[in-house]
Amino acid sequence: MKKSTLALALAAAFGATPVLAQTVDEKLQILQQEIDQLKAQQGAKAPAPAPQSSASSADYGSMLDRSARLASGGTSFSGYGEAGYAKFRQSGDATADLARFVFGFSHRFDERLTLHSEVEFEHAVVSSEDQGEAEIEQAWVNYRSSDAVNFKGGLFLIPMGILNETHEPPTYYGVQRNQVETRVIPTTWRELGAGMHGVIAESFRYDFGITTGFDSGKLDDPTTGIRSAHQEGQLANAHDLSVYGALNYRRPGLLVGGGVFSGNTGQNGASNPALQGVPARFTMWDVHAQYRVAGLDLQALYTSGTLGDADKVTAAMFAADPATAFAAPKSMKGWYAQAAYHVYKRGNFDVAPFVRYERIDIRQAEDPANGLFADPRNDERIRVAGVNFWVHPQVVLKADIQWYTADKSQNRFDIGAGFMF
Amino acid sequence: MTPAALRSLAAVTLSLAASAASGEVYQEPGSFVAEVFGSAPAPKVLWLTGDLQARAAAILGHPPAQLRQRYWSEGQKSVWILEETGKEELITAGFVVVGGHIDHVRVLVYRESRGQEVRQSSFLKQFRDAKLAEDNRLDRDIDGIVGATLSVRAMERMARLALFFDRASRG
Repeated sequence: MKKSTLALALAAAFGATPVLAQTVDEKLQILQQEIDQLKAQQGAKAPAPAPQSSASSADYGSMLDRSARLASGGTSFSGYGEAGYAKFRQSGDATADLARFVFGFSHRFDERLTLHSEVEFEHAVVSSEDQGEAEIEQAWVNYRSSDAVNFKGGLFLIPMGILNETHEPPTYYGVQRNQVETRVIPTTWRELGAGMHGVIAESFRYDFGITTGFDSGKLDDPTTGIRSAHQEGQLANAHDLSVYGALNYRRPGLLVGGGVFSGNTGQNGASNPALQGVPARFTMWDVHAQYRVAGLDLQALYTSGTLGDADKVTAAMFAADPATAFAAPKSMKGWYAQAAYHVYKRGNFDVAPFVRYERIDIRQAEDPANGLFADPRNDERIRVAGVNFWVHPQVVLKADIQWYTADKSQNRFDIGAGFMF
Repeated sequence: MTPAALRSLAAVTLSLAASAASGEVYQEPGSFVAEVFGSAPAPKVLWLTGDLQARAAAILGHPPAQLRQRYWSEGQKSVWILEETGKEELITAGFVVVGGHIDHVRVLVYRESRGQEVRQSSFLKQFRDAKLAEDNRLDRDIDGIVGATLSVRAMERMARLALFFDRASRG
């Protein structure tokens, strides 16, 4: 700070003095060299510094203070959030909601070891009388050996689909996240575990590992497939672990990839004793692609999952509480296709209307004898049309209309806004 | 998975971890400068005073952290080593500007845990021949990389800044 002030004072002084520019330049060069020498002397006298990336580039002159800080134990801050208004056409009801506000801290312990975390607040208010939630969305440590070899451990996002790992509001179309990657792929899907990931051959990102999984004894929503059996690192029953793997190919404007996740969900009856000894294996996979060309954004995804022993899960739910039991999901399929076109782009402003078609097909293990049948909302088709208006690459305004074929109570008009930093 | 298989997996991963080189530093900035010029010329300094500082801040979206920028130049060619935060950490990149156009770009240091794809030649070649247009923006759109949105934006801001600094350094 003192050096900057000194430099400014000298620059001002030189500027006010009628000397040749060449002479001023030469003097500044000398001043620069002297400052560098002082820096070097200070460095020699200083106690042993914390490990730094050799490329903090202190000798190469840009925003060096920040560089040094981050390279040797800095903590950085990030975040995203979104709010929306929904007007339901059938009922006439309307809601406005600060859907989520997320802030994240990252910390660099040394050249290779970093911490990544995100804390999420949903629906603005969190208390025992409100619907809001406060949750840790991510908290994991990464050890980077090279671009190709990273190890991670903690609570991290499962690399399934497009939205699960990249879900900041300015990065997707529509006020609401698409329903396939909400009800079939349970975004935001995170598990406790350990994994290995990296980039190979410039464009291929691999990711695999072992994690906690679902607990089918915790199912409590008939319309969201396996989603309500997620554990999210909250005293997760871990008798049965899961494995995952993903491979994605990324180039500018192009993403093609897929992922798979598999593990038993019976958890030895920890949540429902009737599931003791029942594997109830859950396996899900997906393939997805994004392509951008000449202002056109195209995106598509297909996913499929199965829950083994679904009939036993249904029976276990009925045994535990007949009043709340429902037919467990036995297969989950979904796909969507989306197209957007950037019709106006000037400065930070970017306007892109879009259309999306979504198909959800969740089959359930019915138990007619006990009156447990499939929920008709699980055979759904959703059409969405809307527009994203970026007022800045990291701040977006959105509007859309949604038409549901099965559950017409969800037909609505949305407007919203989101940000990321 | 059997204990033997687990031991083998552990041995392989530990071996990989031990053998891999540091992944962050792809090229030392000094080496990049020397590569561009054959032998590095004496550095020069651009002082960010008054209007220059304000315009650099407008490009970056935040004030520049320092008031002087070192660079190297010979004739119409200049080299700028710049740093900008992607999502969480700084990216260090070298920009070679020739005659007011970007000749080539290289990511020298990448510190984020995701988004290393901005190193790809297929990404960086989008900057080739780019020049400043209205409002100190690039004369073209840069296609993003899914999952690396903020790193892509940081690279774009640095490219604009390099072109702006080159123009400013030539009066």
